[in-house]
Amino acid sequence: MSLRPLYARPRTLAEAAAVLSEIKSGAVVVAGGQDIMPHINYGRLMPAVVVDVGTISELRGIASDGDGLAIGALTTHRELRSHASVVRHAPLLAAGAGEIGGGWQVHNRGTIGGNIAALHPLYDIVPALLALGAEAEVHDDQGTHRMPVDKIVSNTGLGLGTRSVLARLHLRASPPGGGWGYRKLKATAGAYGSANAAAVVTLNKGEISSLRVVIGGASALPVDASAVAARAVGQRWSDRLGDEIETACRELIKQPLSDQQGEGSWRRAMAGVMARRAVQDAIARVAA
Amino acid sequence: MMNSISASEGYVGQSVRTIEGRAPVAGRARYTSDYEFSGQLHAHIVRSPHAAARIKRVDLTGASKVAGVVLALDGKAVAEHIGPMPHHMDPSLFHGRSAAIRCVALDQVWCYGQAVAVVVATDKRTARYAASRVVVDYEPLPPVVAADQAMAEGTRKVVEGWDVNAITQIPFVNGDVAKAFAGAHKVVKSTIRIHRFSTQPIETRVYNAVWERDTAGFTVYCTAQNPQPMRNQLAEALGMPENKIRIVAPTIGGAFGLKMPGHPEEPLICLLAKLTQRPVKWVEDREECLLVGGREQHHEVELAVAKDGTVLGLRDRFLANTGAPSACPGWAMAFLTGLTMPGPYVVKNIDVLATIAVSNKPSWNASRGYGKEATALALELSMDNAARALGMDPIELRLKNYLPSTAFPYNSPTGLIYDSGDYAGVTRKALDVLGYAEWKAKRDDARRQGRYLGIGLAYELTPEGGSVPGTLVAGYDSSTVRISPDGSVTVLTGVTTPGTGNPTGIAQIVADELGIDFAGIEVVQGDTTACPYGFGNYSGRSTIVGGGAAALAAQELRGRLMKLAAAMLGVAESTVIYRNSAFTSDAAAGKSLSFKDVCFAAYSHVYDVASCITPALEATCTYKPGLIRHTPDANGHINPYPSYSNGAYATVCEVDIDTGVITLLKCAVAHDCGRPINPRLVEGQACGAVAFGIGGMLSEEICSDAEGHQLTRSFMDYVMPRARDVPEIAVAHHDVPNPVSYKGMKGAGEAGVGGSAAAVVNAVNDALAPLGVCINDLPLTPDRVWAAIQAARRVSRREAAE
Repeated sequence: MSLRPLYARPRTLAEAAAVLSEIKSGAVVVAGGQDIMPHINYGRLMPAVVVDVGTISELRGIASDGDGLAIGALTTHRELRSHASVVRHAPLLAAGAGEIGGGWQVHNRGTIGGNIAALHPLYDIVPALLALGAEAEVHDDQGTHRMPVDKIVSNTGLGLGTRSVLARLHLRASPPGGGWGYRKLKATAGAYGSANAAAVVTLNKGEISSLRVVIGGASALPVDASAVAARAVGQRWSDRLGDEIETACRELIKQPLSDQQGEGSWRRAMAGVMARRAVQDAIARVAA
Repeated sequence: MMNSISASEGYVGQSVRTIEGRAPVAGRARYTSDYEFSGQLHAHIVRSPHAAARIKRVDLTGASKVAGVVLALDGKAVAEHIGPMPHHMDPSLFHGRSAAIRCVALDQVWCYGQAVAVVVATDKRTARYAASRVVVDYEPLPPVVAADQAMAEGTRKVVEGWDVNAITQIPFVNGDVAKAFAGAHKVVKSTIRIHRFSTQPIETRVYNAVWERDTAGFTVYCTAQNPQPMRNQLAEALGMPENKIRIVAPTIGGAFGLKMPGHPEEPLICLLAKLTQRPVKWVEDREECLLVGGREQHHEVELAVAKDGTVLGLRDRFLANTGAPSACPGWAMAFLTGLTMPGPYVVKNIDVLATIAVSNKPSWNASRGYGKEATALALELSMDNAARALGMDPIELRLKNYLPSTAFPYNSPTGLIYDSGDYAGVTRKALDVLGYAEWKAKRDDARRQGRYLGIGLAYELTPEGGSVPGTLVAGYDSSTVRISPDGSVTVLTGVTTPGTGNPTGIAQIVADELGIDFAGIEVVQGDTTACPYGFGNYSGRSTIVGGGAAALAAQELRGRLMKLAAAMLGVAESTVIYRNSAFTSDAAAGKSLSFKDVCFAAYSHVYDVASCITPALEATCTYKPGLIRHTPDANGHINPYPSYSNGAYATVCEVDIDTGVITLLKCAVAHDCGRPINPRLVEGQACGAVAFGIGGMLSEEICSDAEGHQLTRSFMDYVMPRARDVPEIAVAHHDVPNPVSYKGMKGAGEAGVGGSAAAVVNAVNDALAPLGVCINDLPLTPDRVWAAIQAARRVSRREAAE
């Protein structure tokens, strides 16, 4: 806690990792600042050192990576939603980024890395990444590690820890013939989300051959509903199947959030409704 | 661009572009927080985390040790300088209970967020940091949160020594209500819960007090709607004469009643400036701004209706939760809710009881609508409930019960005197611009396809320009018109603008009265030293009284100029013709004097040709609106209002019944504000009001938990409507001039919050009618709508099973 924090601007990932390893406590990493700066400006967060990673060029860029994509952590929401490779190979992720609220200023400043590292249950990027089975490349003073994104978001308190920098996201390109859906429920246009769902599906002659569904916004952590959704494999879309998916997904939300984004039992029910609609959209996209 | 129309056509009634709106749009406006002075200090206020507590000890030592801290005070230290604060409208004037309001809590906390200490430092961050080091030892008390809890037997009293947790209970009774209900075909009961919501101007409150050492007085730069009355309250609080205080209210970023005086920070920041002998600024943050409440009322309405739909009688028991006692005028909104009953309807038999309760929630201040929005909500939701109970079209039911246009001036059962109106005509116009027939067909089609569209109508009567005896909510106002030797014109007014455009309207009026170009007129407002005495902005009055007073002053100056022109032309005054800013006379062929020639002569020839007029082209006049009656009638009623603007509001919505999310498809407003001076500015106000109504019903709510801790702290939780939430709004004017006001004006700045809100609710209930769902418990957030649909489905499943 400090009234006037120190400011560090490492120029390389190695420098950033070194700076973070030297600071015992009170360091925060800032990229686009869309999550952290309001907390600092309101005095809710008084860091000792602000480590600004915004100029580290290693964290930038979107590149093809074998059969997939490598997306730098400093990629802004605006780049993500409009980049040709992302739109082509990971349209679900582009759609999720497009749903981020706050307008153009937030889209121009906010980054994919910050969106993940903030561990905010209402943010849009993580459900898409989980549905796509993305991996994170994380850098600390010990070097570079790769881990599934769900490792980072499996715990509300820990996340990346205080010594690591999220460097890059790796994801496999969506297979041709697959479909995707992203649904976000907001009470009104200016509201934060109350529940969202990301779905990825493949069909074989109209029958579901694989289905992944991830629900966000309804509980403190995103919920991977793919296991219950797997029961849909071998079936065609029908209202009855929609009902089953809705019910199964609703029941996965054991401890719904209950706040001014909506009361708990409604949030739970909306997790189901969003999942159903996302799956229906995903199937419709395959057909189209 | 219509600024170049020639003066002879007249500016009144034209949609000229605003004068004062340009700087804010271009980012050039200088707001209060933009003012900085040499040696500027910043204050941060420590607020109570408890709704109710005794303060055992305040320890300021930690804060005082922080480098950069200049002063830290607790309530006891402040009380050595400032006694109980004067009220803007003292409840004791209305036989109500009046509490001793402290600007910093002395020994007891009355509400969550109440000030308990203040820290002054060389910069804002230091002040905030130091404030976090103030240690307060509280002994929490059982909080009084809900209004029914406040009124229940045995509940602890918010103010020690009060016998009831209420400022007052006011009955509004007329006719034979028992007989009306006994003879009714049906009695339709409605329980209507209006939640706590407020106004939230984008610019929060700011006070920057400068201690003037040379005069031992203050200059206070602040966000004030009512600079002169605020000065009166400040002077009393600080124990100094009014003439030692100058208030300057610069460009304001929205006000809506929230910036009416009585806030604790007003005298407090002045005191800090005096004690430090340096300028002290306080900028309210959003969390603090959200502490200002309003509108929370619980109505139990009963309508006695005849078989043909005639409303025979109205009963309403309503309870307002006005929060902790305050020096602000918010509490009286609930009084106006009762006084405005039964709105636009011919109902002589009424029995309304307003209970104005206090609690440990934060206090109210005025919110656009000033209680009249609650009248519209209570009446208009009840009217739709009655229509459903009778199986009657809600439009027909209204048309049946409106006052006819021949009824005016009309003595209302609560003692008001309505000036004029054509409520049926206004309603038809609103439905017309909505495209009612077309939407009705679309709604019915949608229903057949399993979609839920609805159409809602509501009326709002908005008395404007209020004058309350014994207060500085005085109703009349003054303006000065000053013409300089070069012919340029300055208007100084006692009214202020909250950004609505009244300076432009006033300039249009003066331009017409003086027969000059509108573009060069300067309107100066909000400076207590420069401007004539007046009461600022409230109650949709500024163009009526500020403009009316300026018209009188301009007429006086025009008379002087005509007299002088006659002398300069050497002709009889009756032969002088003034046209296109030039003075001529058939008796002086070939001679022409410009406006500027005559103005210069008025200053420079006072011992020869201009000796026929009083020198200096300056006049101050007061406009005192008619119709106001402060002498009580036989029933003890007064009429505080000169004008009764009114409007019809219609809305179309669609409800997603799986999620409860409401999408608005179209809104329409037909508004009678008398004669509009600038129609586009009136339309802007109407659209703003509709956005208020929409936000208030769909997403804006100030919540607290059972212990009275306020949960709504930022715009993340207090969600105001965005452009995407507000559909196309069709606006129509239906002008029925006020027969006794200048140019027939009725006021246009305040109306529409309640009417548009009620139209949204009625549209949603119309949409959900096939499901048997009717929600009168506000707001209509999707979780509530969804829960109501689920409950109705459970009932219908149970009925099907039986």
